[in-house]
Amino acid sequence: MRHTRGIRLLTSGLLLASLLATAACGLSASGEDTSGEPERTGRIAGQITFRTLQLKPNFTEYVQGVIDAFEKEHPDVRVKWEDVPGEGYNEKLVADAQAGTLPDVVNLNTDSFQLLADRGMLADVAALDPKARADFVPGAWDQYRLPGRSGVYAYPWYVTPEILTFNARLYRAAGLDPDKPPTSVEQYFDHAERIADRSGGRYAAFMADPQGRLPGDWQKMGVPILDERRDAFVFDTPKAVEWVERMRDLYAKGAMPRESLTGSQDINQLYGSGRLVFGPGSPGFIKDIKDNAPKVYRETAVAPAVTGKLGHIGIYTQSLGIRKGTRHVDAAVEFAKWVTNGPNQVAFSKAATIYPSNSRGLDDPYFSDRGDGSDPETVARVVGAEQLREAGLDANTPVEWTNQVGDAVNREMHRAIKGDVRPADAVRRAQEAANRILRNQRDR
Amino acid sequence: MSPAPRTSPKAGRAARRRAARAQETDHGLVHRRWWTPYLFLLPGLAMVLTFSLWPFVNTVVLSLTDAQILRGGGFVGLDNYRRALGDPAFWTALTNSVLYTAVVVPALVLMPLALAVLVERKVPGIGFFRSAYYTPVIASAVVVGLMWQWLLRSDGLVNTVLVRLRVVAEPVPFLTDGTLLLVSAMIVTIWKGLGYYMVFYLAALGNVPRSLHEAAAIDGAGALRRFLHVTIPSVKPMMLLVGTLSAISALRVFTEVYILGGESGGPGGDSRTLPFLIREVGLGFAGETGYAAAISILLFLLTLVFSLLGRRLSKGDER
Repeated sequence: MRHTRGIRLLTSGLLLASLLATAACGLSASGEDTSGEPERTGRIAGQITFRTLQLKPNFTEYVQGVIDAFEKEHPDVRVKWEDVPGEGYNEKLVADAQAGTLPDVVNLNTDSFQLLADRGMLADVAALDPKARADFVPGAWDQYRLPGRSGVYAYPWYVTPEILTFNARLYRAAGLDPDKPPTSVEQYFDHAERIADRSGGRYAAFMADPQGRLPGDWQKMGVPILDERRDAFVFDTPKAVEWVERMRDLYAKGAMPRESLTGSQDINQLYGSGRLVFGPGSPGFIKDIKDNAPKVYRETAVAPAVTGKLGHIGIYTQSLGIRKGTRHVDAAVEFAKWVTNGPNQVAFSKAATIYPSNSRGLDDPYFSDRGDGSDPETVARVVGAEQLREAGLDANTPVEWTNQVGDAVNREMHRAIKGDVRPADAVRRAQEAANRILRNQRDR
Repeated sequence: MSPAPRTSPKAGRAARRRAARAQETDHGLVHRRWWTPYLFLLPGLAMVLTFSLWPFVNTVVLSLTDAQILRGGGFVGLDNYRRALGDPAFWTALTNSVLYTAVVVPALVLMPLALAVLVERKVPGIGFFRSAYYTPVIASAVVVGLMWQWLLRSDGLVNTVLVRLRVVAEPVPFLTDGTLLLVSAMIVTIWKGLGYYMVFYLAALGNVPRSLHEAAAIDGAGALRRFLHVTIPSVKPMMLLVGTLSAISALRVFTEVYILGGESGGPGGDSRTLPFLIREVGLGFAGETGYAAAISILLFLLTLVFSLLGRRLSKGDER
């Protein structure tokens, strides 16, 4: 009976296929590159692949220009550029890492760096290029070290520093001096309270969503987030409780738009329509406001970000990693160096609202010329660059503060800010939840 | 068996001879091509197997592991299911999803029917109303969500009117109270579903024989009586279909809650539904794919229960 045999064959084929696919699901460590560190040969040649994160079509011209100039300098090298959209970028990286097809030079953000570096897939650039360190802002360079290892695993690339933006007209209307913006979280809250008292409900001071404020605000208030061994959250302190109490009181007073608590309101819209005093702390936002709300743009003032006890901002640069198993080490290293060098980073900054992580790039007059001090975009550039030189990693969100931890803390904060739960209880429960998640993640 | 094709007796004989010869020379000629129909089915089957069945099987397998988004997991048996049953967030989400279904389904079974009866009449300009009621269906969920957000915000249209008319002293926290947020999302879902299911009912109403209505009218039945005893029994199968379809989509609701309540699923995450929880658990670098898969399977079982319920009801009706 061929009929039955055929069906049987088909069935077993399908079963086998599904079994294979089941075995393939999830990530195995098989694609991990466990070969030793690559060594330089002194011959800069070969074809290398270069992957960027969402730079086409806006910056096609710039990137292609950088590549062309490099190929002219090194005629034996061919650079194959591929640009991947932000959505699913990391998933694609993981798939490529498994398949052993990572690009030779790859654009990484903080998350994807962690992802590849932890698995030992990136080359130690400090070993390949010992002099590189001097070229970069210290915070940026240190960002690519790994705990327990001596190397540095990516070249820092462009960065956007945190700044403080606010509507100076509304600020003045609340009886505050725009030349004396807050420098600590406590002062920021004091000013917000003043704004709430004077605004008559016509505008609010800042967005209530704790997601964007934590753990940064706590770090700036001197609250320890993790214990020294980094295996438990320890933020349940009187200072953290004080933060929640102030947030609760300010929310009740109307210092924040009510719906901003859950992040369902758009900060750009609120600020752009003159209903919010403190805007988002990113330089790119200033350009958006300039394009979309020229009137509010003219009223916008820029100051250094609130840094409180830390005294400096955190730093999250984009970076260029080099695949550990690359066949053309010299070409890859030279190319990554080329893309991240001072002049190329400065040129990029002029095309986009970003900053160089290269200290020579930051020394360019473009980043120190305030003009007459009245144009927010120009001032933002100078303020951002000044802050960048001082940036330190202790102000960054710890990697242990994952999405899940953030969500859990956020939920407790929501309840407390609305006044449904006592602040002390909320902080205690947030810490318990965060530690549960951390243990859970460590156990696996 | 299909009837033999009408051909001339001569051609018929020739064909029969050919067939007989074929059977003589190669017994399995007809059987050898047993796979021909499968060949035709293959493209469709491949799609279903690859994009529906296979991911489903994969989800079941995944739900029995402790896989994370970036790490293949080991087999953990029913641990994920046990964990879900002990997780307060799961129970909140389950309660919200069931509550959502319980409110939205009856509303979406009855209200579009009433609307369909209204717009079925042949009145001048009725086409405008039919199209108008259908507009929310073609509007994107995001646009609809934003529009309702503007309406329901504390400084939105509804609250401004209520406060001005002194119906309430303080703005109603439609979007910042867990329960009210869920109710607001339900209203959006119902509003959006009205026109969609109205079209279903319009088709069903078109099939109700006029003679039934006329006979009932002659027997002295008024409009309400005719609606209850003629219209409703005639469109009952459609009501069951609408019930099942709306139940399935209500159990999967995400967009409305997300747009009105933000990424956290309302303040404190109190308005999270099951799909919301699945997303939250499975997202990010520490995303627990295994656990998220287990909740997906539980949601699937819940959907299955509602679908079977609908089937049973319709079977009972046939009898």
